Amino acid sequence: MIVFEHVGKRYGGRFEALANLDFRVRRGEMVFLTGHSGAGKSSLLRLIMRLERPSRGRILVAGHDIGRLHPSQVPFYRRQIGVVFQDHQLLHDRSIFHNVALPLEIQGVEPREAARRVRAALDKVGLLYREKALPIELSGGEQQRVGIARAVVNKPALLLADEPTGNLDPQLSADIMGLFEDFNRIGTTVMIASHDLALIARLRHRILRLRDGRLVADQEAA
Amino acid sequence: MSRRPEAPPRGARTHRTRSSSRFRGWLRHHRAMALDSSWRLLRAPFDSLVTMLAIAIALVLPAALWLTLDSARLLDSELTESATLTVYLEHRVDEAQAARIEEALAAREGVARTRLITAAEGMAEFQHSLGLADALGRLEENPLPASVVVSPADPAPAAVRALAAELESVTGVDEVRLDLAWIERLRHLAELGRRVALALGVLFGGGVLLVVGNTIRLAVENRRREIEVVTLIGATHAFVRRPFLYSGAWYGLGGGLMAWGLLTLGSEWLAAPVAALAASYGASFSLPQLGAVGSVTLVGCSILLGWLGAWIAVSRHLAQVKPR
Repeated sequence: MIVFEHVGKRYGGRFEALANLDFRVRRGEMVFLTGHSGAGKSSLLRLIMRLERPSRGRILVAGHDIGRLHPSQVPFYRRQIGVVFQDHQLLHDRSIFHNVALPLEIQGVEPREAARRVRAALDKVGLLYREKALPIELSGGEQQRVGIARAVVNKPALLLADEPTGNLDPQLSADIMGLFEDFNRIGTTVMIASHDLALIARLRHRILRLRDGRLVADQEAA
Repeated sequence: MSRRPEAPPRGARTHRTRSSSRFRGWLRHHRAMALDSSWRLLRAPFDSLVTMLAIAIALVLPAALWLTLDSARLLDSELTESATLTVYLEHRVDEAQAARIEEALAAREGVARTRLITAAEGMAEFQHSLGLADALGRLEENPLPASVVVSPADPAPAAVRALAAELESVTGVDEVRLDLAWIERLRHLAELGRRVALALGVLFGGGVLLVVGNTIRLAVENRRREIEVVTLIGATHAFVRRPFLYSGAWYGLGGGLMAWGLLTLGSEWLAAPVAALAASYGASFSLPQLGAVGSVTLVGCSILLGWLGAWIAVSRHLAQVKPR
């Protein structure tokens, strides 16, 4: 699903955020990406989302060299990836329903079909009863679940998450990870950047460990 | 990335329905954004009105100048039509000879009409127009020659000049006068005015772009986060631009209509003094109206400028958030 070949990323020609990354993630796999802050977890995800381009090497996602995507194709590429952000990236002037509906609105999905899929996604994360609320009225954990609902409403083949449990207590964190496992169980490839080592260790999935932009360990699922 | 690489080839029918549903989605978004952007304008009525008024004021001046020139052009063509040559006959020519000369002139190629003014008629006209009946009445002999007013078939200045030279060589003709100088002068003035109007139009059009561009830039700034988020989840630039382009077009529409209103009011306000002034010259002249074509052009240009201003503002922003 994801192939990194000798990928490097420099910022401003000097600072080397990622160096010589070589790994592949199979379709339907669930992978954790760990390391201290500044180790390059976010940079790696940004490369996969094609928010940035690698300075060296190639990245293949579902067989396509995404470094060579024409800028006009990038939006269509992104629509096939669900992304969960640490800070949710919800729009505060829209209801939960409309936040989750946003990807479908962008794709021009017919409103009735969109509503059906939004409700299914909200139901999956257990927030269907809050569909009319504004993001500000929800707790941090609930907001994160809305973010997840928005990421999966499209039924993407690849789900990325950047520190999805960053500010949550252990119980909520475990719940959120459980949700990701559910999506992985139905075939979605999942990649989660997290520094919550204790939690990750318990979940027994493959772990990629980064240090100073290099891959220092690739621990297969137990 | 296709989730089902082994999926069977799709038939033409499914393909058609997919693209038509995409088109419907596109149309739906246009409708939604047109409504959403007008709703945003209405929610800040004062700011919207100020922007529209600024556009209107920027448009009124060049439009008014253009209208004035248009009327000058009308006047010009009328004058050209009425361009005539006055052929003064020699003093010794008597009335019978004058009539024969007139006939000869009328028969010439390049002459449309002729009118003979005998010495006596000339005198009467002179007395009447100058109000010097008494002074001239005391003269023992009529000092004025007979003359023939010739309307050329071709009113172009060069042709008229050539005709004048030709007529001068006719026996019995003393002098040919043509009053082209002031028509030429008027024409130069009109040309100058046209260029000034064009330059002003370009300048003020640029002004409209700046006004709309700046307003939209602020709107983009206010919705920066929203743009970031929708870009992250796969919005195209066209999708991001759409609401702003509609806002720009609405501003343009409002500004254009206001400019139209200002011009209409202005010409109403000026109509009476202009008519009075024209009457004092013994002419009937009324201010030109925009007319249907002019009105549509004015509002159309305004909408286009608003749209373009918005396009520039959003594109500048989008260029700044390109991936490295």
